[in-house]
Amino acid sequence: MFGRLRKKHKETPAGVRVDPVFQGARFFLFFLSLVLFFGGLPFILAFALGYKYNVRTMSFVKTGLIYIKTQPEGASVYLNGRLIPEKTPASIEELLPGVYRIALTMEKYYPWKSEVDVEAGKVSRVDKVILFPLKPDLQRLNQEGFDLFRVDAEKGEVYYMDREGRIIYRSDSAGENFEDIASLPEKFGQISGWDISPDRGRLFVYGPHQVSVVSLDSRSNYEYPDSFVNLDYSREKVIRVFWHSDSYHLIAVTNRHVAVVESRALSKPVNLVELDKEPVEVFYDVKRQTLYFSDSAKYADGTPRKNLYKLELSPELYILERLIRKTDE
Amino acid sequence: MSKSKERDCRRFFEIVPGFLSWGIIFSLVFLSIVFPVACAIIIISFDFYWIIRTVYLTTLLIMAHHQIFRQKGRNWLELCLRLDARRGWPDLRQLVIFPVCNEGPEVLRPSLEALRASRYPKDKFIVVMAFEERNPYAHENAALLEKEFGSCFGSYLSTFHPDGLPGEGRTKGANATWGAREAKKLLDSRKIGYEHAIVSCFDADTCVDPEYFGCLSYHFLVSDKPHQASYQPMPVYNNNIWQAPSFARLIEISSSFCQMIESMRLEKFVTFSSHSMSFKTLVEVDYWPRNMVSDDSVIYWKGFLHYNGDYRVIPLYITVSMDVAYSSNIFKTIIVQYKQKRRWAWGVENFPFVATRLVKNSNIGLFRKTRRLFHLLESHVTWAVWAVILVLIGPLPIFFGGRFFSQTALAYNLPKITGILFQFTLFTSLTWIFLSWTILPPRPRGIGWFKNIILVLEWFFVPGIILVVGSFPALDAQSRLMLARYMEFNPTLKGNKVL
Repeated sequence: MFGRLRKKHKETPAGVRVDPVFQGARFFLFFLSLVLFFGGLPFILAFALGYKYNVRTMSFVKTGLIYIKTQPEGASVYLNGRLIPEKTPASIEELLPGVYRIALTMEKYYPWKSEVDVEAGKVSRVDKVILFPLKPDLQRLNQEGFDLFRVDAEKGEVYYMDREGRIIYRSDSAGENFEDIASLPEKFGQISGWDISPDRGRLFVYGPHQVSVVSLDSRSNYEYPDSFVNLDYSREKVIRVFWHSDSYHLIAVTNRHVAVVESRALSKPVNLVELDKEPVEVFYDVKRQTLYFSDSAKYADGTPRKNLYKLELSPELYILERLIRKTDE
Repeated sequence: MSKSKERDCRRFFEIVPGFLSWGIIFSLVFLSIVFPVACAIIIISFDFYWIIRTVYLTTLLIMAHHQIFRQKGRNWLELCLRLDARRGWPDLRQLVIFPVCNEGPEVLRPSLEALRASRYPKDKFIVVMAFEERNPYAHENAALLEKEFGSCFGSYLSTFHPDGLPGEGRTKGANATWGAREAKKLLDSRKIGYEHAIVSCFDADTCVDPEYFGCLSYHFLVSDKPHQASYQPMPVYNNNIWQAPSFARLIEISSSFCQMIESMRLEKFVTFSSHSMSFKTLVEVDYWPRNMVSDDSVIYWKGFLHYNGDYRVIPLYITVSMDVAYSSNIFKTIIVQYKQKRRWAWGVENFPFVATRLVKNSNIGLFRKTRRLFHLLESHVTWAVWAVILVLIGPLPIFFGGRFFSQTALAYNLPKITGILFQFTLFTSLTWIFLSWTILPPRPRGIGWFKNIILVLEWFFVPGIILVVGSFPALDAQSRLMLARYMEFNPTLKGNKVL
């Protein structure tokens, strides 16, 4: 065909028409494209849908696949005891439906083994595997003796409390930059709990009948007893204490009241709620400034029943302040 | 057919392209929500089709590019002179019309200079500078250019198209027609037969290759039916390509390439932008349309209908250079480019124009009619939907598929297969980069060598801009036609300098 075209082309003055050879090649390409499309598309779609051509049965079989992802990546994958060339993350395709044994191994990590059910045309995902190291990366952080600690994940700091020495230490999360930052007040009895204020400027400690606030501000001299704020709860038993988000007010839950108190000397608590019984559980949502606590109440028929209460503190904060001022007056 | 029926028929054909394009898009979105498996299968099929199509079209581009380089530097004038005088060379005249809208001398002067630099007898030229009367500077500019170029050609005419003539829109076709009619008077007065004149209608910024008219004349003279053909040069946008921003440059190079590809598909080839044809045919088909925006392609269809389908476009593998449309910043450039592409996409108005006339024409065979209409419709619908399907609808089955679909092998394989298929386009992209390099004019003074590197790297922005200038302008144009919100000719801001 091309020979005939070429001959025809020679008879025509050069460059007058599009070279017939090109037109011939174009039609050839066009039909080749058609053949490629209609010939290739069934195979591409079959592959996409998970079909595999079985040479033995001379037919298409619908297969499934397993997708494996580990943390850390790079684990060797054994499928029914046979190592596959891919390392994780890996996908094992064209698997006939059935149950497969999967083993994941990695040097210096505990192996992981399981059985995975493969369904036709579906992906079985094994993508939440964490491989744990044989030798955990264990580090000692403290440089001094301590009884209690708090981790500030946001700032990457660790606070330590040495009850005997009444010292508060701080280090970074790697145990570096270890330093004394405060001392506990003298004659503080049993410590039930403690926490750092949201602005990291203070901490409170509380015992059954006592709450103290200690300044962590490096400019203040924590050796002076005046830097402590001691709140006397000799008549009540302190259950839990929380920082309000302003880092100034404390929310104290005792066996008799839910109270708010300013963290300053001579401040007096304002009792917001009178409790019927000592609350068993207390939770304070700092973000929403809401306190959840349990208390019992008597129903109309006289039967006592435990209830869960929610106390929103944020919108009423200005009322609290007014209340506190009024009480002070 | 009564007038109301004809109007209804036309409205029907106006609605068809937009309806099809939106129908395809909404159907795929709907399918991706209710039947993601079917949608994913369609997307994979479309991706595969698109890859094969891209490879096929790139091969055609290489062929067209080869033709351009093969014919480069050929002395066409000498070939014309060697022809038998009976073929008509001695009587042949070149009527060149530049329809001018708002363009000033800074745009028009290079076009006339290029014409003056043509390797072609200047006495054979009849140059018509067709100004719009409504342009307040028209007479001033005309006088300026006439003084400069009036004596350089056989004849030089400045015409002024009055605004608001009955039956006319503010279109380039109306102005060109006015200019052609004025030229007809000149030909009549000099007793030059229309069959001896070739008319070239050029955009105002068109700078011809020195060999263009030799090449055109030669093709015209040796053609079997010279009056039953339009002659289409290869448009390139080299006038200011080194100064234009990457975004605009890429789009215009791609446009040139598309035109080069089309030149290899003769059965679909339609005139675009600057083109030439027999003046006799132009008069017989009653000139360019005076109320349609896409006059450049409609004139081909008028010829096609006039000659009952025995009309073709002969590609001339010689370049005419125009300006890249751009503006002072990227956002303004995007808008300029968007509007230009929307105007091009408004070529969809050809579909109702051709369809309504083909319905009435019984001299053209049904197969030929259907084939041409299908090509016309398919090209516009594909233009409107391809980028949307590839970029926006592609990920939808996974997005909307839910838990059930995400567990299927198809959901897992969809992005994988799409990724593999599109890796093939890397080869075609490299070809396009190389070819774009070869059609560039020499780097002007003051442009650093690093611009060469930018010219290569900018091709990586293609996926980001295909939506802006790919489907959206076409969808916009088709929607307007569907809703009978007809567009007016909106001339692209052009100029060698930044606007």
